[in-house]
Amino acid sequence: MNSRNMSFTSRRSLIKWGIYGIAGIAYTTIPPALVAQSNNRGKTLTFNANDEGILNFALLLEELEAAFYAGVVSSGKITNAKELEYMRYLGSQEAAHVKFLRSILADRVAFTTSDLSLNQTSLEAILSSRDRILNTAVTLEDVGVHAYNGAGPSLTNPTYILAAGSIVSVEARHAAGVRLLLNRPSTEPDSDRQVKDSDLNSALNPFKGRAYDELYTPKQIVSIVGSLNLLNNPISGALVA
Amino acid sequence: MNILLSPITNLFVRKSLVEMVQSLSFRLGIKDTFISIKNITDKAFIRTLNYAFITLISLAFLLSQAAPAHSQTMLSPRQVTEYALTLEKLEADFYRRGVSAAQNGGLQSAPQIAKDAIVSYGEDEAKHVTDLSAALRTIGGDPNAITIPASPNYNAILNRDPFANPTDFLLAGQYVEDLGVAAYKGQVQNLLAAGEAGKTILAAALEIHSVEARHAAGIRFLRQTLLGSDVRPWISTNAGRGEVIYNENRSGSPIPFSSDAFDGYATKDEVMALIGPILKLSQQSSEVPEAITSSTSRPSEPVQGLW
Repeated sequence: MNSRNMSFTSRRSLIKWGIYGIAGIAYTTIPPALVAQSNNRGKTLTFNANDEGILNFALLLEELEAAFYAGVVSSGKITNAKELEYMRYLGSQEAAHVKFLRSILADRVAFTTSDLSLNQTSLEAILSSRDRILNTAVTLEDVGVHAYNGAGPSLTNPTYILAAGSIVSVEARHAAGVRLLLNRPSTEPDSDRQVKDSDLNSALNPFKGRAYDELYTPKQIVSIVGSLNLLNNPISGALVA
Repeated sequence: MNILLSPITNLFVRKSLVEMVQSLSFRLGIKDTFISIKNITDKAFIRTLNYAFITLISLAFLLSQAAPAHSQTMLSPRQVTEYALTLEKLEADFYRRGVSAAQNGGLQSAPQIAKDAIVSYGEDEAKHVTDLSAALRTIGGDPNAITIPASPNYNAILNRDPFANPTDFLLAGQYVEDLGVAAYKGQVQNLLAAGEAGKTILAAALEIHSVEARHAAGIRFLRQTLLGSDVRPWISTNAGRGEVIYNENRSGSPIPFSSDAFDGYATKDEVMALIGPILKLSQQSSEVPEAITSSTSRPSEPVQGLW
């Protein structure tokens, strides 16, 4: 199995893209991103069932999204100007989420960006066409929304739940925006949902159906993200058990 | 809005004190109270000339208020549900009128994709009304006691009829949906503070909150795509009042709300002040309520007769 490590340069570069993206300047660069190769699955990522574990779990999702959009922008497969602008902005916003989560976690952060090992083969396959890219973006964004919603009631720090709320609505805007680029509905039809109603944690979900972004458990999120086969690192801990 | 410092002479001292209050409030995890604390300090400044004295009484105020102040603006899960149901009833009614105008009114010329969105989002809001009503009953409330006027004054949004043409309807819809997102976000800390008693309503609010964000993004996308409006599905960095009608760019929080990567929130008082004219809450019966966007420094967008 091929794997790559995300280097620190990739994050700096993402932030750079964000800045240039906001300035509205078309700016392209080869994403340094994923350089080192190894057959190792990388560091085991452990998430505890507490605020710290939840924020680290959110960080993992944001890192994946940020790395994904970095790859998208450099893939050359998105040629429509509007679509490319969306990809750049989304990438810079995910990078801002990464930066924010790392700053509030500070010394409680569970892994560095370079600890993450991406599956190069899977990533390259996804980045092979515009349709695969945008549909994968929808999957990642929808999953992100369900993940933040699912984690919300488990948070105990009021600043953290407000921060999660501040981020999740941006992820929902991403999901809706990319869905509309694909002429898919901006809300998530039942048929698109990765967790069936019968598999939802009923204690977590008072309401179900299209009018709601249901709450998925971290375990369910790990399963969905795992099916994309993007991350090599083993995942463990009480949060995802 | 009360977030803005009024320009008076001792600005420097005011500013540093406000920053101190904000920083302390947030360190204590108190969000809703900091505005009211700031209001009171504002008043104290106007009344008092002695800087040292001001600092002293403000500090004393802070120390005495910081801990219990949370309860001043804290809403119970039932109060949050009643407030949310008010907003959902209004949104559902707004879309119901939109659907009607799309069939035989000012929105007939809207492209099918916009008409489909109006129908779909309206169905979502109607579902929220149904389900929140049931949830309110289970916690001892009466959904039928939550009412909106038979004919809400939607002209208050833009100071003109938002159902007259698709351009205005989508702009009004953007304002309403973005505000709805901010309103739900403004209640998550109250619901969290209620502990186990708030968990079900918190989950319900979260489930709805991000769907409202999808609606907001969808309407923004339609405005960009169909009208060429300079707007994106996300709220731009340092968004002005021509883009959102609440204060999206709060400072003094560890959360960088002014960034386009982070959405802001609105308190119940702020939201009610904005929708009061629509709900005809200021009972000056013959007086035409001021448009809720009229206080912005930027004029509302001109009517574009594209369709």
